[in-house]
Amino acid sequence: MGSLKPDHLRTIREAMDRGLLPRWVLTDPDIYALEQEKIFARTWQFLAHESELPRPGDFVTRWMVHDPVIVIRGDDGVVRAFLNSCSHRGTLLCGADFGNQKVFSCPYHGWTFNHYGELVGVALANQVWGPELKREEWGLRPIPRLQAYQGLIFGNLDPAAPPLTDYLGDMRWYLDLIMGRTGGMEVRGVPHRWVVEGNWKLLYENFTGDPYHVQSTHRSTVELGITPNRTLGADRKGYQVVLQNGHGVNVTLYTEIPERPFQRMPEETWPLFRRHLTPVQHDLMQRASVFVGGVFPTLSFVSPLHGTEGDLYNFLNFRVWRPIDPCHVEVWSWFLIDRAAPEGYKQAAYKGYIDSFGPSGTLEQDDTEMWARVMQASQGWMARDRTLQYQNVMNYLMGWGRVDPDPGFPGPGTAYPGLVDAVSRSTHRYWFGLLTDGADGEGDLG
Amino acid sequence: MNLEIRAAIEEFLYHEAYLLDHHRYLEWLDLLTDDIVYRMPVRVTRERREGDDVHSVAVYFDETKASLEKRVRRLYVRSAWVEENQPRQRHFVTNVMVRPTDETDEYAALSYFLVLRSRGSNHDLDRIFGQRDDRLRLVNGTWKLARREILVDEASLHAINLSLFF
Repeated sequence: MGSLKPDHLRTIREAMDRGLLPRWVLTDPDIYALEQEKIFARTWQFLAHESELPRPGDFVTRWMVHDPVIVIRGDDGVVRAFLNSCSHRGTLLCGADFGNQKVFSCPYHGWTFNHYGELVGVALANQVWGPELKREEWGLRPIPRLQAYQGLIFGNLDPAAPPLTDYLGDMRWYLDLIMGRTGGMEVRGVPHRWVVEGNWKLLYENFTGDPYHVQSTHRSTVELGITPNRTLGADRKGYQVVLQNGHGVNVTLYTEIPERPFQRMPEETWPLFRRHLTPVQHDLMQRASVFVGGVFPTLSFVSPLHGTEGDLYNFLNFRVWRPIDPCHVEVWSWFLIDRAAPEGYKQAAYKGYIDSFGPSGTLEQDDTEMWARVMQASQGWMARDRTLQYQNVMNYLMGWGRVDPDPGFPGPGTAYPGLVDAVSRSTHRYWFGLLTDGADGEGDLG
Repeated sequence: MNLEIRAAIEEFLYHEAYLLDHHRYLEWLDLLTDDIVYRMPVRVTRERREGDDVHSVAVYFDETKASLEKRVRRLYVRSAWVEENQPRQRHFVTNVMVRPTDETDEYAALSYFLVLRSRGSNHDLDRIFGQRDDRLRLVNGTWKLARREILVDEASLHAINLSLFF
């Protein structure tokens, strides 16, 4: 915890109670260290989609913040995940991003492991090791928990973590919508990866809790008609839905069923929506325009409409905000599309994706500039002072005490109409509760 | 290899870099043929025996003249924040190799690039490097870029975004 004192945590709680968040939590090294221990080592983190590992022997290498992870589909068809580090001396075992292999051999001393993580080969085993080397004790270290929902594979470093389905809570309903709507999604290509300036909380919040920024940050794309303007269109209505455990989702719906329902998905897929969704979900999906949200702490998603040459296409973009240090994040950005969509639609939607999101995307470009600006202005003492003597806090007061939840919203969670900061405030509460082992309300911080 | 053609193509590449570095994107568009294919695939790390490290599906750019025009048009909008404040950027183009092709008026040019970009007073520089596999075409006596495949050498990019062109 370094030099972090209960009084410092108390200033955070007092600010949150007033709809604010101290700016120093974005850059503070002790907060970052505490987040490793209390958040990233305990919460479910997205690793891969099942479609990235279709065949036995397929693997991808990923990171759970600073832990290298290898995710492998075994020759028994089961997906497993291990620390991507040789059990002998800790060498990074597999340096490839993805591939298909029967075994994984460490180049350092030649130890070899199979799909089950078992140590199956030891160089000079008989000459130098003998039977004292108990191979069963020297397998790869498994990621303690590995569970999937709607094809999304999550890992958790905490052996005692609650099940993924409990952790997702009502977010499952929305994942059923965006992932399960036509019977399943697939990843196209490999994730884009690049390093941006920004604290991970800021980036999570940008997607999960901040549709307010679209009208200014993305004004250029709105002006050029690349992205629909949710704050102006009288034919659409936006909701922000607060979910459990720091999760949240923003849903933009047409007030009437549009001429091209189901987010402009091709007509041949429409019967699949009815087959795979409940009547309530089906009705909502017919009127859906955009979904954008997040699964705390580092997964965000957006299901928008974009296109480069005339028509607009729907796709699903998942991203992991992988912290590098308090001020930098490596973004991992996946393109997903309905397996059932025609190939031509998938290609056009992919072009819509690279034109809007990912490092070359016109929307994402301007986001990254804003995050960098926040970080540039957050390095000085007025921003880093933990005692808040300058009252240097961020404002999350939008809609507070002014906008009431709409009980008529068809999905689970607490849905607020229009633009509010309700999800961010909820996320901050959950983040703080994890950091302080449950002192989210009036609990003892000392 | 005709040295005059080689010099003309080198001059084309340097002129192009000059326009890009000076934010003269509209003039840059004029250097491209109407049927240009402009691609930047994702580089990946793989076991050598498993194949190519240029991904066959994942791309950063897969552009036509029309989509490039749209990207350029956006950069001139006042609220395109990547250009406001305007960053300072430099394309260093080297190792140019020119080869004839089967088409009489088309030449293949391979070049290396290093792009550095500075914004504001920020000490974090964007840094992108790799090679470009170009096809240049002589159209009515003027050289135009007809195809470009950009190979970036990092699998995880050291740039906060790719608002610039290569």
